[in-house]
Amino acid sequence: MENSIENDRIINDLLPQKFGKAGKIWVGFLVAVCLVGMYAYYRQLRYGLIVTSMRDYVSWGIYISNFVFFVAISLVGSLITAIFRLAGVKWGSPLTRIAEIIAVAAIIFASLIIIVDMGSPERFYNLFLYGRIQSPIIWDVIVITTYFFISILLLYYPLLPDIKILLRFREHSGERLYKFYNYIGSFWKGTPEQFRLSEKAINILCISIIPVAFTIHTVTSWLFATTYRPGWDSTNFGAYFIAGAFLVGAGSVVVAMYVFRKAYHLEKYITEDHFEKMGRVTVLLALLYLYFNVNEFLTPFFKMKKSEEGYLNGLFSGDFSVVFWFAILVGIILPVIILLFRQGRKPLPMFIVGIMVVVGAWFKRYLIVTPTLLHPFLPMHDVPASYRHYFPSWEEWAITLGSLAGTMLIITILARIFPIIPIEETLEEQHEIIAHHETV
Amino acid sequence: MKQFNKIIIAGLSILLVFTSFNGFSQAAEKGDLSIAINYFILNNKVPYLMVKTTAKINGKFTNLSDIKLKLYLDKDSAGTFIGDVITNEKGEACANIPLSVKKEWASAVKHTFLATFAGNNKFDANKADLTVSRAKLLIDAGSDKTVTATVYELKDTTWTPVKGVELILAVKRLASDITINETPTFTTDSTGKASGDFKRDSIPGDVNGNITLVAKISDNDQYGNLRIEKTVPWGAKFVAVSDFNKRSLFATRGKAPIWLMFIATSIIIAVWSILIMLVINIFKIRKIGKEAL
Repeated sequence: MENSIENDRIINDLLPQKFGKAGKIWVGFLVAVCLVGMYAYYRQLRYGLIVTSMRDYVSWGIYISNFVFFVAISLVGSLITAIFRLAGVKWGSPLTRIAEIIAVAAIIFASLIIIVDMGSPERFYNLFLYGRIQSPIIWDVIVITTYFFISILLLYYPLLPDIKILLRFREHSGERLYKFYNYIGSFWKGTPEQFRLSEKAINILCISIIPVAFTIHTVTSWLFATTYRPGWDSTNFGAYFIAGAFLVGAGSVVVAMYVFRKAYHLEKYITEDHFEKMGRVTVLLALLYLYFNVNEFLTPFFKMKKSEEGYLNGLFSGDFSVVFWFAILVGIILPVIILLFRQGRKPLPMFIVGIMVVVGAWFKRYLIVTPTLLHPFLPMHDVPASYRHYFPSWEEWAITLGSLAGTMLIITILARIFPIIPIEETLEEQHEIIAHHETV
Repeated sequence: MKQFNKIIIAGLSILLVFTSFNGFSQAAEKGDLSIAINYFILNNKVPYLMVKTTAKINGKFTNLSDIKLKLYLDKDSAGTFIGDVITNEKGEACANIPLSVKKEWASAVKHTFLATFAGNNKFDANKADLTVSRAKLLIDAGSDKTVTATVYELKDTTWTPVKGVELILAVKRLASDITINETPTFTTDSTGKASGDFKRDSIPGDVNGNITLVAKISDNDQYGNLRIEKTVPWGAKFVAVSDFNKRSLFATRGKAPIWLMFIATSIIIAVWSILIMLVINIFKIRKIGKEAL
């Protein structure tokens, strides 16, 4: 009886909740930003890429930086869900749904933003029809598509037992959502055979998502590293990108944990202990990323090759130095210092650190793309002044912010439709704890 | 006194106004334009002239473009007019010795070329001249891969060998010439000949191994610039190696390397087989669920 009451309380706590006033304002704000972005994209389609500030030299601007950022964030799905699960990290289970939702949202917009960067998006299908398998761009197209499907499956399989629970609360969810739940998961009866097949599938997904996740970001890094340019001509790039991706992924989960915990009053499920442990994970990842950054910049700085001098000086003390040192200090070093202290791993400081990591990471991607393109090996001669500098146009900013808002909108909508913390897993854990206490 | 002061001030004011009016100042001094004439003859055929105009501007010698010059043979008259030329961006202009002066050309063993500049708003008029003796250069390639050049000068009506002329024996390459051996220059003997051994055996030639031997006299005060060429099959045969249309990382999509296609396809098939299997698994779960009803 007591067990049943406890179960009902957990289910009640974790059922998706309708948007309150703040939620509606939040959704309205995101929709508005998306609409401005769509208008800017309409202008880009109408007038062409000339509305951007991209020219002959900087042909990859803020869109590609944003693309790399989205790909990086999407890796969190493999970190929290797959690596934690395979490593037997139990405390991470309440965070798996958040991580998967972030991964799905980010990979959707990674795919979209790359199309936005195209001058003729109506020819996108040619990539599939006539793509050269020798090109890292095609590898990226293949691997992003694969990762998208794996992420969807990894979100869907663990949802099935929760959908059975959601279907019991028809009045709570409303008719339209009930129909949707019914459509996607009414067949789940929770039979041992169904559980066996589902567990097997989740295990296979967890194993297969790790190499695919590593591939997706390694291939993204190869888009740069296979091009002979200052700053990109590096053998360190694959590992450097993956380390950075895990860090920004962890940072984004921390931010989402804090926001959902506050918004849905999930303090009992996302505890301070979760923040403490995510803090330790984040500091480890930040130190790892710092190590790769030292590798990436110290050796070229030491050599200071003539051809890379302009690029490196631009980063360390030139036009990009403010952004560079912001990304290094605010995005990596300060989080390490804060998270090394126990007080720094409390929810609010962790939330602030998460934002610092994510914002720093976004600017870090910008620094990977743009300064290199402004410092080609062959010096620029007789080119218009606009070719020598790059600052995104309002259309680029609007589309970029629109895509970021779109990602958050998808996360918000998925959190409205599905339980942000897996209900069935929480119930099981609860039973295990009770069984453990009874045994003791 | 006051009246006097007023007159002084008025006078000084007028003077000041006039000093600022450049109509009273002298015209700006024009620069000195210098003209250099060079005489060339290739393969003992039609000779030509190349003139170059320079001037010292801001302490640096600068090539002058768009300078119009008149060229004459021996004397400044309509009958010996070679042609009008306008210098290019390098300050250079060329003109062949035309048929119209053939008679004058044949009438003497030594000629003086004249170049005149009429002057413009930047440079004063100027002229230059160059005197050359008529000479010819021959080249011969021996079976033992010896290259011999012979220099002759026209004296009266006879071509006479010339001793002591410095020349270069070389092989013609794309951008420049490379000497036939380590010796940079050769000097003609009393028979007018200069010989050198060809030591560039491995030098690439055309598809038949043909290379072009060159004998040239450069900037000679008496004869100007003479050059003669001869084709010999002494080079290495050029065998074209083309990667075009072969399987490579940089080829077209239909020519991807087999190993890459194998690896990529294997990975894609392996991963997508798993994904398809997992989708089928959903249908299995669905079927079990329906049966459990």
